[in-house]
Amino acid sequence: MAVLLQADCARRLMAELRGALDACAERQRQLEQSLRVSRRLLQAWEPVGTTALEPPPGSKTKKDPSPVSTPSPQDLKELELLTQALEKAIRVRKGISKTAERGRTPSLKSGSIALSPGTTASAVPQSSNRVGHCSSRTRPTKGIHQTKVPAKSHPELPLVRNRPPVGIGAQATRLESNHREQMTLSGYPHAAETFTLKEKGILLRLPMAFRKAAFQNSCLWTHLNSTQTNDATNAAKNQFLQKMQMSSSISSSRFSAVDVEMEAQCLQKACALLRLRMQEELSAAPIDWMQEYRCLLTLEGLQAMAGQCLRKVQELCTALTEQLTGPCLMRRPLKTSFPCGGRVCTSWGPQLLLYSSTQELQTLATLRLRVAMLKERIHLEKVLMAELLPMVSTQELQGEPWLALCRATHSLLCEGGERFLTILHEDPAD
Amino acid sequence: MGRRRRRMDKEASARAGAGARTLLDAIAALSRSLPAGPNPEIFRRAKFDRPEAAPALWQLLFRLLAPLQVDRATASLGPGAQARWVKAVLCYLGYPRPALAQLPEDGSHGSRELLLTFSWLLAQGPLLEWLLAQTCVQLGDQVPTVECEVLTSPGLAAIQMDAEGPVDLRRLQWLMGKLRFQWQRLICSQQEQCALLSKIHTYTHGCHSDRNLGHLSVTETEMLRDPEGIHQQLRALEQENARLEAALEWRRYEPVFWQWMDTVLGACPPEGPAAPMFRSRIPEHECGKLELATLQEELQTLQEELQALRELLCEEVLSRRQAWEAQVGGLGRGPEWSAARQTLQQNVDQELLALQQSWKQDRSPSLPQGPHRLVKIKAGSAGAKGLPVAEVIRLLRSQEASLEAVLCKLQGQCQQELARLVGTVPGLIWILPPRC
Repeated sequence: MAVLLQADCARRLMAELRGALDACAERQRQLEQSLRVSRRLLQAWEPVGTTALEPPPGSKTKKDPSPVSTPSPQDLKELELLTQALEKAIRVRKGISKTAERGRTPSLKSGSIALSPGTTASAVPQSSNRVGHCSSRTRPTKGIHQTKVPAKSHPELPLVRNRPPVGIGAQATRLESNHREQMTLSGYPHAAETFTLKEKGILLRLPMAFRKAAFQNSCLWTHLNSTQTNDATNAAKNQFLQKMQMSSSISSSRFSAVDVEMEAQCLQKACALLRLRMQEELSAAPIDWMQEYRCLLTLEGLQAMAGQCLRKVQELCTALTEQLTGPCLMRRPLKTSFPCGGRVCTSWGPQLLLYSSTQELQTLATLRLRVAMLKERIHLEKVLMAELLPMVSTQELQGEPWLALCRATHSLLCEGGERFLTILHEDPAD
Repeated sequence: MGRRRRRMDKEASARAGAGARTLLDAIAALSRSLPAGPNPEIFRRAKFDRPEAAPALWQLLFRLLAPLQVDRATASLGPGAQARWVKAVLCYLGYPRPALAQLPEDGSHGSRELLLTFSWLLAQGPLLEWLLAQTCVQLGDQVPTVECEVLTSPGLAAIQMDAEGPVDLRRLQWLMGKLRFQWQRLICSQQEQCALLSKIHTYTHGCHSDRNLGHLSVTETEMLRDPEGIHQQLRALEQENARLEAALEWRRYEPVFWQWMDTVLGACPPEGPAAPMFRSRIPEHECGKLELATLQEELQTLQEELQALRELLCEEVLSRRQAWEAQVGGLGRGPEWSAARQTLQQNVDQELLALQQSWKQDRSPSLPQGPHRLVKIKAGSAGAKGLPVAEVIRLLRSQEASLEAVLCKLQGQCQQELARLVGTVPGLIWILPPRC
């Protein structure tokens, strides 16, 4: 049942979704790029002096069309078949994974290459062209076996839920598992000539000029962080700002949009915390009159705080109404991308993040992505709510189309687009 | 006498010369520390409002304000669109001078106003340091991750979007499904990337000249594979060093610059009653309105929630106060009691103050900002300088939980609203999908 969205509503929703999809595709492209680089480093290569190897053929696993393409009716049908197709792909992949496990021969463990401990990178024997050629065809596969999807923590992604990942690697493993088996076996006798990170990575040294520049760089950053701007500067700066404000016809007490937004976030948090605290107090059972009195005082305090927050919200509402008559941005983007937001950063330049295991790193990466996804989902939910709920409530559509709209809306808004409800029409005659 | 006066003149002109020199130095240092900073001469010409300085300053402002990740999208924006973007962002940030909004977007004049705008941005916060940190050479490996800013790229693309006709709702569903699938793909790729990074770090352990880092990063290892990369990175690093040196120099001369800016401000004619024009000159973007309208709706909801909360508290307090008075009223009100009451009041006040702090402090999120170089250490090794991942994970988990709660609440609201709407039609039975 076709339900058409009106042009302006459609324009906004499509723009939002396309924005999200484009950003995703861009990120995927970047990730695949760095995956290619990392994989290449884990194969055999020659430290300094080799021409750049081409990225291995077939490493592109992008199969789906660009995110902004229009789905044909056939696409829509294919969407429904997608889950089944994925299941099948997984079954095939599982079989291959097992083969690949067996294919991992112990040849990688060979560490019997004699090199004096002080040897530098340039002293590592140059490997032959043949090795370079071979390495462009070998593919790293170990990483694939380590990719695990923490299935239970992503209930909103139904397509591949509770299943191993698809996409990267699956196809490659199938295509090259046999080939790799040959490689590891036949490559073994030449191991003495081959440079691999695993065996000789520890011998690598960065060139002197670079080490110098890097050292200077870290010194300069330290210097920048340790010297503070002096009082004379701050005074001169403030004087300039004051003069500018005085020469302006706009009142300085006015909230800017970015202020309103940040204050609103803060107040939302406040509201949640106040409610939580109230519930705690209300559910507590005081055992003596002291506790009872304490509870009463707390509730009174909370009441006063709620009143303060409410006044602040009203103030913000007024400020925003003024903003709405002025020029506006397309989206609210900048609060984190510009230092005006009042955020104080104490340390600039490269910082270190310490991890101790692959798994720890993977958890971190997944969590950050999940937080980003949740934020995007909340944003989309709000946009969809604003556009779809009024459509349902006006009931311009009647009968079947309206029911279809209700189902789709329910699925998008309440089920994250994953499940559908069933509607039974009860004949009043029965 | 005459000789003496001549000497004094000479000294004064030398002093003035030195002053001018430091100002030139200050501007030169500023210009060198900015990414693709304009020629120092531009700043001088802008003081005299020379029209030829305007385009370079519009560009500078745009570069400072356009988020880094939309560089590709912005490359296609013409000067007019860039100027509109700059105006809108500055309005959003609360820039106080309406004169900016009245400048022509073709860059034909207004360089002095633009210089003032730039200086306002510079005075707002540590702009140079922030810019340097944003554009610094990334030699280390980052957590392969997506910041929310990247996922929700600002609507620059939307500016250029064409109008469309009606759209089938199923297309929307199709796109949503696709988005979910893409997210899943991202997770898978990230997992693999993490595994590969960890390996490279282990294999190159002890190779870095900096002991704090210990191992090489992908970029550094790649440089050893591809010598061309070394030259590029070395050049980039040297450029960054030059900018850092310029920034340090700028800090020395900065006060002179601000004094000079005072004179620039003084050279501006006083503002006329221009406020109404400010409103009407900028074309209004419908989407932008909607965006702020969403914020307004949020505030409205918040207001209702707070009102409900306050009313509930009001009732509870009233009934409890009465009950308590009735119960305790007959008891003695000696000095002991009043002391106990005071202590209680103090305790409660402190507790509530702490509660208030907890939401006020959270304004600047405690999650680490900016790029962090990943360093693999042996488990349990102490004394390493840096932020432990475990700490970030802990913060992220709590953030995840609160976001999930927000989403759940929104979904619940929708469910209620839909149930209400459907309830108005008789004879329908809704069977909700099973929860897995």
